[in-house]
Amino acid sequence: MQKVSANSQLAPRRKRKSISYDKYGYLFVVPFFIVFLIFQLYPIFFTFRTSLTDAAGWNKILENDIIGFANFAKLFDFGSEVSRYFWQSIGNTVIMWLCNFIPQIGMALLLASWFTDSRMHLKFQGGFKVMIFMPNIITAATIGMLFYSLFNYPVAPINTLLQNLGIFNAPFEYFRSTAASRGIVSFIQWWMWYGNTMIIMIAGILGISPSLFEASLVDGCTSRQVFWKITLPLIKPILLYNLVTSLVGGLTMFDIPHLMTQGNPNYTTNTVARFIYTQAFESPNNFNMASAASVILFFIIVICSLILSFIMKDRNPAEKKLRRAGK
Amino acid sequence: MKKIVSLVLACMMLLGCVSFAGAEEEKITLNVWSFTVELQQMIDKYYAPTHPNVEITYTVYPTDGGEYTSKVDNLLAASATSAEAPDVFTLEAAFVKKYVNSDWTADLMGDLGFTEEELAPAIPVMRQIGTSNVNGQLKGLSWQSTPGALMYRADLAEKYLGVTTPEEMQEKVADWDTFMETAAELNEASAGATKMIVGAGDIWNAYQYNREQGWVVDGKLVIDDALYDYLDLCKVLEEDDLSNKGTAWTETWFNGMKTDSTLCYLLPTWGLHYTLKPNCGFSTNSNMNDEELKAACEKDGGTYGLWKMVAGPVGYSWGGTWIGANAAKVAEMSDAKKAAVKDFIKFFTLDEDFLYTYAKDSGDFVGNNNVVDKILAEGGTPNPFLGGQDHYAIFAEAANLANGAIMTDYDEKINSLWSDHVTTPYSKGEKELDDCIAEFKAQVAAQFPELVVE
Repeated sequence: MQKVSANSQLAPRRKRKSISYDKYGYLFVVPFFIVFLIFQLYPIFFTFRTSLTDAAGWNKILENDIIGFANFAKLFDFGSEVSRYFWQSIGNTVIMWLCNFIPQIGMALLLASWFTDSRMHLKFQGGFKVMIFMPNIITAATIGMLFYSLFNYPVAPINTLLQNLGIFNAPFEYFRSTAASRGIVSFIQWWMWYGNTMIIMIAGILGISPSLFEASLVDGCTSRQVFWKITLPLIKPILLYNLVTSLVGGLTMFDIPHLMTQGNPNYTTNTVARFIYTQAFESPNNFNMASAASVILFFIIVICSLILSFIMKDRNPAEKKLRRAGK
Repeated sequence: MKKIVSLVLACMMLLGCVSFAGAEEEKITLNVWSFTVELQQMIDKYYAPTHPNVEITYTVYPTDGGEYTSKVDNLLAASATSAEAPDVFTLEAAFVKKYVNSDWTADLMGDLGFTEEELAPAIPVMRQIGTSNVNGQLKGLSWQSTPGALMYRADLAEKYLGVTTPEEMQEKVADWDTFMETAAELNEASAGATKMIVGAGDIWNAYQYNREQGWVVDGKLVIDDALYDYLDLCKVLEEDDLSNKGTAWTETWFNGMKTDSTLCYLLPTWGLHYTLKPNCGFSTNSNMNDEELKAACEKDGGTYGLWKMVAGPVGYSWGGTWIGANAAKVAEMSDAKKAAVKDFIKFFTLDEDFLYTYAKDSGDFVGNNNVVDKILAEGGTPNPFLGGQDHYAIFAEAANLANGAIMTDYDEKINSLWSDHVTTPYSKGEKELDDCIAEFKAQVAAQFPELVVE
């Protein structure tokens, strides 16, 4: 009894000693987790569940029967129409993503190395960066409509311009040509995002210790050598980050093709996200198929991201040895 | 204690009086859902003053991105009888068929007691579209009618075709064959400066009424023979260079309204007032009244007053809004409320005094033949935009020609698949007809798993 009372006398002091502000931290992150749980995690699980049901139509969205993997079987049954258009959409998306991503990363790296090159000392850097970043600020919907009217047929700015310059004799119908339509979609994606990628690259390069660059200057490296031997290897993590985010963004591409081409001509600019959208929200409401397609897309993205991070992993033999030694 | 008891008793008496008074007034609340404020304005202006005992709760969800239909679907599927659910809701042309074909809308004759006599003056095409393809019950009625006609440039027709009156013009476009002959004649006479129509897609809304069967009959996809004729027509338009090769709602399309590049537009009632008229000049806009439009056209160039209209090759209807009732709620509501729902729908769609006043105030073309006849008998509505021609007379003629029985709930999506995968690639010579049709069928099968596609 006495011991207990002694303890209780001690308790306040000990409490004060171990006052912790951790709980406030938790309070601050609670709103995020609530929103995340309700609006992201739950819908994701709901999508997984819906993909296993026969929920076609609003009246079946809540009361439906689990039918196993039938929806997936349909999407992998290459004879069915649904599967044909699904895989065609994936192909379209990958093509348009690659056509946008390769030039994008190239351009961003080039500009980033110019902007950070201490020997070049570019003037008006801020101005250039703002202008290059600008397209990213405008909403994709606006840009989609803008390019739609620019490239329209037969009377539209680009056609009129090319005819007046004498390059074309007759107006060209861009949105009936697969190459031109995909090209325009890829161009818009490139144009909107290379500024963003560039900013991230610059941040990555500025994070490299300046002493490395100074040492290379003293050793008499050329700009090219500095770029390939120092900059590029050291921004690998940033490159990986960029690749993965762009992959996710690219495979879920929706707004530009949806607003500009509606998948035309002949379904060649129809992306997976548009496939999912048309299945789910255009007249028949095939939520089950749309969910199954979403789940497949989810796994494609996860697998691609894992492969990318595996390839990009630093596999310097010397480092490996060190690590092993450490163990 | 006594005091408390007497207080409680007094309160109860007071409450009793209040509720008794309330019961005497019989205030009925109707929950109305719509996708624009159009009906609300009509309620405030015409319905509310004459119906003091009905209280309207009006809810608007926009149709953009399918918000309205998602909300309605969601609610009717989950809790159709909840207080939040509408008693009465409006349906747009794009999705009216989906609802009248479902069990969600009430049968106006069976459930609400509309009689054939009451319905007789309703313009047939609107009634046909409001009728279920599944069981033939009438489930939606419209206050307006949206018949289409053919608007043409009278000055250009006179110059190139020697046509001076609308009657002569109607002969030139009496059917699709003469329409195409006229197109060729015009192209030659104007040396290609003026084309008959902006593009093949522009005649679709009218041409689809030439079909005998809709897209879906008994759960099967049907490609009517008329559609093959339509494809031939589009191919000729394209190959012989008889159109401006543009599509609707693009720069080319609007440009033809203000310049001499296009002779004809096939537009319905709203197209005349809200599309053609505001776009008739280089500096015109939709806020201008007739005098301002005329002045703007004289100043900066335009076509105000140069248009005339005729019924064209086929009677058709394009657009419209229907009023339907929530079947689940109608089934369990009191007789008084049921009467109020009926009266609400009847007031807007069949009350001739209201429709007459509304037509006079708004210039809208109403869906009731008695009212249309009355307006025509009074001398119609001479329209300065059409050089003084009476648009009511032409629309009245077109309105009763259209056959709405071919509309199905699949139309919107299948129309666009047909245009994307058949009309466009075939008429532009990109693909063979068989390939186009095969692709179209595959697309329909992928999109609508429940349809039989052969």
